[in-house]
Amino acid sequence: MRLAGRIPVEPLDEDRVVQIERAVVAGAASAAARGAAAGQTRRTLGRAAFALALAAAGLVGWMLHRASPVATDAAVVRVESVAQRQRLDIGDARITSEPGTAFAVTRPDGGVLVAMARGVVELEVGKRGERPPLVVRAGDTDVIVVGTRFTVDAGDGKGDVAVRVSEGVVRVVHGGHEIRLAAGEHWQNRDILASAFAPVPRGANGTPDRTAQGASAGSNGASAPPATAAADRLDSHAGAAGDAEPGAPEPRAPGDRAERPAPSANADPHASSDSAEPRAPSANADPRIAGAPDAPGGLHDRTAAVPETGAPRNRIAQTPDVLRDRTAAVPGASRDRAHDPSQRRAASDTRVELAAAIRSQPVAPAVDLGGGDAPTRAIERYYDIAAHRSGDEASSAFYSIAVVEHLRLARNADALRALDAYVRRFPRGKEHAAALWLRVRILCLSQFDDRCRAAAYTYLHEAPDGPTTSVAERITQTE
Amino acid sequence: MGEVAAVMYLEDVLLVDRCLTGESAATRELFRRHRHRVHACLFRVLGGNRDMDDLLQEAFLQVFQSLRGWRAEASLATWIDRVAVRCAYRYLGQRRRRIATDSIHDLAGDASDASGALAAPEAGPGARRQLARDGVQRLYAVLDALSPAARLAFTLHELDGRSIAETAELVGASLTATKLRVWRARQRIEAAAAADPVLREFLAPGSAAIARIASDDTEAP
Repeated sequence: MRLAGRIPVEPLDEDRVVQIERAVVAGAASAAARGAAAGQTRRTLGRAAFALALAAAGLVGWMLHRASPVATDAAVVRVESVAQRQRLDIGDARITSEPGTAFAVTRPDGGVLVAMARGVVELEVGKRGERPPLVVRAGDTDVIVVGTRFTVDAGDGKGDVAVRVSEGVVRVVHGGHEIRLAAGEHWQNRDILASAFAPVPRGANGTPDRTAQGASAGSNGASAPPATAAADRLDSHAGAAGDAEPGAPEPRAPGDRAERPAPSANADPHASSDSAEPRAPSANADPRIAGAPDAPGGLHDRTAAVPETGAPRNRIAQTPDVLRDRTAAVPGASRDRAHDPSQRRAASDTRVELAAAIRSQPVAPAVDLGGGDAPTRAIERYYDIAAHRSGDEASSAFYSIAVVEHLRLARNADALRALDAYVRRFPRGKEHAAALWLRVRILCLSQFDDRCRAAAYTYLHEAPDGPTTSVAERITQTE
Repeated sequence: MGEVAAVMYLEDVLLVDRCLTGESAATRELFRRHRHRVHACLFRVLGGNRDMDDLLQEAFLQVFQSLRGWRAEASLATWIDRVAVRCAYRYLGQRRRRIATDSIHDLAGDASDASGALAAPEAGPGARRQLARDGVQRLYAVLDALSPAARLAFTLHELDGRSIAETAELVGASLTATKLRVWRARQRIEAAAAADPVLREFLAPGSAAIARIASDDTEAP
């Protein structure tokens, strides 16, 4: 019985869809208003409870503070500062946000992602060592951090982004180009837009900047497309904070970054960060707080635990053997075997042999790019094909992304995500069987567990005539 | 995180944040991005249904009411699917065994009409298309007799093409329980097919009726 994709879905009447959309948008607005009101009430009650607890007993107050809702197990922490600066401690970084700032913190695959909707955040990030980096995403700009102290200003959330580094080094990725910013340097994307339309970028003294022009022509040639040329100019604009703003003088909004004093390299970090970031007065901001942001009560300190997004996978990996045995076909027999060293050895040999059989099955990208592209470049090219073509071409490119992620980058979690997306997007795609097998390969080479067996079962079910059915059958029989 | 996954993930996080601030453009965008998939999922679980519009609306209202609860542990699409599946489950519970499929009452002709249709498969594409429609209706008539949990497991796995693991995640059951539900549902359907030539023909691999209806597929993109 194979019915997937064979039940035709009757489309909804377009007029009715429009009505549904209106009803949903109206319902969502009222839900958002209720959520905001509930949040306000919760915040008010929380403050009252906190003050009461402080008055009652410092210890109890401290414990209550530790037990605040934000500090629990939310994987996403969303912060919206209305009238106060807020400081959020997530363990490996401290994030201070200006009034009017909204952002969310998550932990995808061991890294930290700070996704900004608007406003200004200042981060102090400890050395991350081998851990995946911390990324601040503001609009289409990524700021990638290893360990430093810096400020990201996302403005009103409509595209203007400014980055200023106080300590260490960050990488800024914008429009596919990357620059490094060291302590004392700053960058803002408004300059790119301005310089893209200016005939010649200007230097610090307002004269035409031949260095920047030369860099642009040198790397891309005279025929470089405007976007690329603009991005090259971007590189040349990552100067010291003390430099004047590049580009012709233009009317500036209140609180423009160009008016900020440069942070001193040896200044007290707190003093420099606070004095170096005069902001446009927010309608909601308390002037007393804005003037003395670190005054007692001026900051709303919070500590938040942001568990890793990959926690469910870890749970599976850490499942004790005895629990895994429970899912075997004959639990009692399985446990008995588990206590028998010879049986254990035999099972281990079988797995080694099975892993070798899995590895021996050829897996390759479905699209030959015909060159020695670096893996990440190859993925970009495949993604370009998948996003802009259709049919088998798109299907093959999408599948190839998963192959490169797995074989060349060893990023198996990403490969699995790409495969899930492939199966969803191309339910009867040309590489359907190959994608299901790749899923089996990735999961089973990691561990012969329930996920591996389920993948093998799915492969057998959906591709019963596939070239690797005998191996898949043996996988389903593992314990 | 790979480029594709990272882009999708970040887009989701930012879009949800915009929705939570009450921005109607973001709400509209989220609805438009996911409505085809949610509609297809509900359709395959419940069949052609005159309540489908209301269900789709209800599912998305639930999504926006619970949006603060999205923890980004699963992708936004998976999370929305889970909300939709819960809506379908509630609906099935409320109207158990009385699913108002649009044309279920048209099955009155039963086996006599069916055998007539089967006797003349060469009668033309119209007749085969009708046969395929009858097959779908009879399949959902059998599904109406299943428990909501078994129906969900079967339709998500067999009709919506999701893996057992994904189905188990969506219905909130263990892998073993999900496999068992799918297996039981399959047994019931095969038993019904043994007594119903139209259903048997519809379920047969490579059936002309299926091929025909598949080529006429009007599925939303």
